[in-house]
Parts: sequence; C-alpha cells; structure tokens
Amino acid sequence: MPKGGPGKGMGNVIYVQPEKCTGCRTCELTCSFMHTGEFDPTRSRIAVVGFEKTGFFFPAVCQQCDPAPCMEVCPVGAISRSEATGAMEVNHEVCIRCKMCMIACPFGATFYDAKDNQIIKCDLCGGDPECVKNCGSKALTFSKSSPAVSLKRRAAAAKIKEVLEEVR
Amino acid sequence: MKIMIDEREVMAYPGEAILEVCRRENIFIPTLCYHPAFKGQGACRMCMVEIIDSRGQRKLVASCTYPVSDGLKVITSSEKIRKIRKTLAMLIAGRAQASPFAQKMAGEYEVKPFFFKGFENEKCILCRLCVNACEEMGSAVLAAVSRGVDKRIETPYAEGAEECIGCKACAEICPTGAIEVKEENGQRIIWHKTFDLIKCESCGREFATPEQIRFIEDKTGRKIEKFLCEGCRKRQTAEVIKEFSV
Repeated sequence: MPKGGPGKGMGNVIYVQPEKCTGCRTCELTCSFMHTGEFDPTRSRIAVVGFEKTGFFFPAVCQQCDPAPCMEVCPVGAISRSEATGAMEVNHEVCIRCKMCMIACPFGATFYDAKDNQIIKCDLCGGDPECVKNCGSKALTFSKSSPAVSLKRRAAAAKIKEVLEEVR
Repeated sequence: MKIMIDEREVMAYPGEAILEVCRRENIFIPTLCYHPAFKGQGACRMCMVEIIDSRGQRKLVASCTYPVSDGLKVITSSEKIRKIRKTLAMLIAGRAQASPFAQKMAGEYEVKPFFFKGFENEKCILCRLCVNACEEMGSAVLAAVSRGVDKRIETPYAEGAEECIGCKACAEICPTGAIEVKEENGQRIIWHKTFDLIKCESCGREFATPEQIRFIEDKTGRKIEKFLCEGCRKRQTAEVIKEFSV
C-alpha cells in the first residue's frame, strides 16, 4: 500500500529523467528479480534503450496512460487499472495472449515473458516500485506532477508529453 | 450463499458455476475447455462432478456449467467420476494422436488410447477455446463443423474468412498447438487465408497484419501513423526525448 493510505499514491507513475540515466540497467535486473526471482533482463518490465555513441540512455517503462490503449484493445478485459495504485495491471488468468496490447502500446512498454507465457508490464510493484529504490543515479523517481514539483521539471514533463503525443 | 464441496463449506455467489467456486477455493478439478476469460462451455466433460440434491439423489454434472444454489452438495472425486475421466482421456488420446499433451494425459490416467483410424496427424482435442477466443476478438469465424468423429474446427466452407484478422489468438490459446500458422516471405498463412505482414519501418521486422492494426485503430480511436515494432517504438520515444533533453 502506498504511503498515506489507500488511494493517496494514485496517479503516481515512474517518472523518467533520461539525462540522469547512466545505462547501468540495474532497474532491469531489479524488476526481473522482484517479479520472477531471476536476474533475467528479458523478463523485465522496464527496458533501457541505449545510444552508446552519444552516451544517452532511456529507460522505457509503462506510463500508465489514461486512456490506456492496452486496456482499450484487450478483447477479454484482462487489463484494468488498479484502484490502489492506478497501475494498469494484467490479469494473467484471464489473458488469452493475443498480444494486441503489445502492438497497441505507444511506447513498446508491454512485454512478453516467453518463459512464463505471460504478458508483463509495469505494475508499480503494488505502489512502491523497486526499480526506483534501486536506481543509483536517481533517473527514476516515483511521483506525479503537483505544485511541489519544480517548474523546470514540469516544463520538461510537458515537453515530453507533447512529444509523446506526437509519437502516437 | 454457502455450498458444500467434499464436506467443506465454502462461500459461493449466485450465477457462479461449481468449477469457478472450486478454482477460487483451490479445489482442483481437471478441465480442458475452461478458460477464465470465457464462460464454461461443457465441451470436454473432464470437469464432471457429482452433486447430491435435496432428496439425497446423486447426479453427474459438468461443473463448468452447473450453476450453484444454496445448500448444494458437491463431490469432486468418486469412482464414477474417475471412470468417466479415464474414458475421456482414452477417447481424446485416441483422436489427438499427434498431440503429446493428449498422449501424456492418457498415460497419467493409466489408460490405453483407442486409436481412431485416419487421425494419425490430429492434434485438436475439440476444446473450442479457439472458437471462444475468435469470438472475443470480434471475428467469430471459427466453429465446430460436422458431427461425431468427423467433428472439427473450421472456418465457414473451409475457406479464408473475410472477418479473420490473422491475430493468431486461436493458435496462442490452443493447448495442443493444433492450429497451423505459417510465417514466411513476409506473409502469414492461417485458416486458409494469407496476410501480407507489415514490416517495421525502422528495423524491417514483420510484426503485425494490416487487419490487426485496423483492429487497434478501431478500438482506441487513434490512427497509427508509423508502423514500428515494439523494440523500435521504445527507441523512437528515446530518440525524440533525446533531442529535447540535449
């Protein structure tokens, strides 16, 4: 349960600041280990895209969109928003693995775990993301835009949002 | 309401089937045609259980379709039930002769399959999960056709159906891998229909059929301008953000 009781953490997402990312991929290993008990980046719900020549790294992770394309395309309603955390969660029991959500995700942040034959995506670890806690360079933070968030960051966030809308 | 399953009192909700209650309570009942995404179909009959009505009479029912009622008594394992499951395992393995899944099941039930003639390459166990999946996808092109031993899953007239979007949901859900999907030369062939796969504009990997893209556009109400595979979509987001942050 997120800090401050149920519902308080609602709307928080993993906020990415790529300029701080060192490309260490600890987030990938952390994610895979916390969810599967294995250090296997192919089973991670966060993936670092690296541009080694320019030294730029971007951890791609679900942004818990609203409305969420993954949820909209799911034919059996296996993806739904968690009331406690606001995360889009996959019900593996109901999922029929048609993989439409993978095609629909504008960020490519919905993954397929071949070992478990499951669609996996960031579930915010139930409101306390482990990747954020283990990010050494603080490129990942768990927050939402609020008056407390600095103006600069908000401007950057707005920019990114604009860009992402373009990407879609 | 409360029902008794194997002398154990459990909670059940109106409209639920016995199997659904059992799954929630971690009471194992074997089944081949049940999937939580769909309603119980009563197709495979593996989930047969015995119920005892108010007059004390025992009756065999398929637990995936039999609705619960207050005070219902269920027995999930008995000599009668075991016998039925053995017969089913024998018949299914006799039909799906090319399916290791069905053969293994016959072994587990300690029965010798009754091999039907002409089914040497058959894998389908007629669970109809593909039929359900296709229906949920909104295409509904699959159905069981013919009767008796000739029964099989087919598209109308065994031809490529207009509504088929080539999503492979049927093949993904098939427990025995009986549905043939061929992907070669940039084409996907499934259910007598050939789809020209869309290539990722960045890396060239073939990742979806045009019909699948249209399906997503219809459902989300947004147009997909650029066709990128999952990996390249991540990369594009990163590239655009990179420009802004430098």
